[in-house]
Amino acid sequence: MDLMGLSGGIYKPLSKEKIDTIHHASLTILEKIGFTYESGLDTTLDLLERAGINIDREHARIKFPQDLVTEQVSKAPERVMLYSRNDKDDLDLTENKVHLGTGGAAIKIIDLETGQARSTKLNDIYQIGRLVDKLDNIHFYLRPCIPTDIPESEYDVNMCYACLKSTGKHVMSGVNNEEGLHKVIEMASLIAGGKEKLQEKPFISIITSFAISPLKLDTQTTLIMQEAIRNKIPVALSSAPMSGSTSPMTMAGTLAQLHSEQLAGICICQLTNPGAPLLYGGIPGMANLKTMGYLGGGVECGMMNAAIHQLADYINVPNYNSSGLTDSKIPDTQAGWEKAITTLLAVMGGSNYIHHAAGMLESMIGVAYEQYVIDDEIIGMCCKVLKGIDVDEEHLALDVIESVGPGGNYMAAHHTMTHMRKEYFTGNGITDSKSRDKWEKQGSLDARTRGREIAKKILSEDEKSYISEEVDQAIRRKFDILL
Amino acid sequence: MFASKAIIDNLVGLNEPKVIELVRNALDEGVAAKEILNQGLIAGMDIVGEKMENEDMFIPEVLMAAKAMSSAIEILKPLLAEEDIRAMGKVIIGTVKGDLHDIGKNLVAMMVESAGFEVYDLGADILPDKFIQEIKEKDANILCMSALLTTTMPMMKNTIDALKESGFREQVKIMIGGAPVTQSFADEIGADGYAPDAGSAVKLAKELLQCNS
Repeated sequence: MDLMGLSGGIYKPLSKEKIDTIHHASLTILEKIGFTYESGLDTTLDLLERAGINIDREHARIKFPQDLVTEQVSKAPERVMLYSRNDKDDLDLTENKVHLGTGGAAIKIIDLETGQARSTKLNDIYQIGRLVDKLDNIHFYLRPCIPTDIPESEYDVNMCYACLKSTGKHVMSGVNNEEGLHKVIEMASLIAGGKEKLQEKPFISIITSFAISPLKLDTQTTLIMQEAIRNKIPVALSSAPMSGSTSPMTMAGTLAQLHSEQLAGICICQLTNPGAPLLYGGIPGMANLKTMGYLGGGVECGMMNAAIHQLADYINVPNYNSSGLTDSKIPDTQAGWEKAITTLLAVMGGSNYIHHAAGMLESMIGVAYEQYVIDDEIIGMCCKVLKGIDVDEEHLALDVIESVGPGGNYMAAHHTMTHMRKEYFTGNGITDSKSRDKWEKQGSLDARTRGREIAKKILSEDEKSYISEEVDQAIRRKFDILL
Repeated sequence: MFASKAIIDNLVGLNEPKVIELVRNALDEGVAAKEILNQGLIAGMDIVGEKMENEDMFIPEVLMAAKAMSSAIEILKPLLAEEDIRAMGKVIIGTVKGDLHDIGKNLVAMMVESAGFEVYDLGADILPDKFIQEIKEKDANILCMSALLTTTMPMMKNTIDALKESGFREQVKIMIGGAPVTQSFADEIGADGYAPDAGSAVKLAKELLQCNS
């Protein structure tokens, strides 16, 4: 059942008036309050200043005139294509088209064999990628965890390599610096058969968390973002304030600040390279004011992520955001409801590139193999909602109602055979609907155990490398690949 | 060599025209009707029953297979000896008094029939006396009772008790089924077996008669 790229836009927490109000508040924030920055951004500041943006170097303040912001933002593409290498999972990001996938930079994983949380390793990125490759409702592979078993200097290339080797779906990753970005582009170009081919059909994209909320440019990431933009490698302009700590306690205040951060980021990118592809990357979140941690699973996360899509859609830029986080430590019932609610709301909202939607636990700290299987099912069911209900002659089935007649049954009707595989959602096998008797005979397994068994089965299949032997050798000659 | 595998594959693959064609071809080649029935059609329905039990097949598909089976049996019937048809056993089936639910019961009847049994489906809302009368008249050796409502489940026990009184209890093996019915309920009321679905019902019927012989 192909449920990728369906249109949302059926849950709109903000009215047109509320969108206008927030958008104008955001423009006011940029013009009157502005952004701050730290050292190392001289070239960027010069570029902004030449364009007419007010730079107060004494107080480290960038103030963006409203008209200039509006003009620059209008240059960002309304549609961004993120390509796969399997001919079927190309992501067409525009309007309300919905795609979901993995995400995160987790440092803990629940081991598939022991069931205990342990540190994430490079091999986990590879194995999760293999799993994701086989789960149809996970549409892209965003590097889910940090390879804590290798030196930090080797992260960039190795994380991206492990992703690209394990799956043909679109890969998004992050880099630590511009050098890392250049290496990743070089490696991907080897796979693409040239940098131009990569730029033409980018099967990798880069997360650039350029803003430290509230309203501050991160020097290193801003430089990475601009360099990717210069190279026409798509970027997601991630900023993720938490209401109560890094944005106002209220949802409207959080949205207004976050939208202003996004407008500033888009502005910088479009001044750097007009028309370069990027994703609006506002991720509204909530702080746990008892611990100062990130509250991932709140229902308001779902509401605000639907709202932020409306704001991105208002300026005609496809958006990257988040759903499927949970504050639970294990794949339990709480994880189930938090994921289902936030993902359903984000999907019905119409966000274009929803990451974190599969695998995450413990807010953004953990992942678990079985959770990817569970979330594949949740995502599938949420996307199925977007298919809606077909009402036409064939689906009304008046002739069938007549031929079966009062008192008959539809089990042997040809119409039943025609529609039984496509009218309703069929999942990956994790959902149990057996009789108690059969369920008991098969070991009375709960959903988590069933998920673990499906994950084990997929991972026990033959490995398929999405990098050819020849290219693999060329990559290994050039880079220190530790997988 | 008789192409039993092709018949099995096409029956499981729900290709009724092909099943009919293969059955006719086999007859033309001089294969005995009984052999076609046992090694082709019944063997195929065994697989269908198994797939149904494992939930690898949708019930409408099972019904299609059963329909293909019936069409094929129509062709074979005139060529089969009376004892071949009756060899598997005679089954009386119905939904107990007070209960009008019959979809599951119909499915069991169809599956059991397509496994080669001779089936007399009495319908729904059947009084104990009616069951007993049919058992006597048809000289049946299996009684299948169905109930969907928890409120009509006790009627299964009433029927078994009435059967005991009539003196015909030993003539039949009693199987019960229906959504709320369980193995422990079957044990409690003195039934010989319980089947959770139509596929298992066929298996159970065969097992019960084997024990008998």
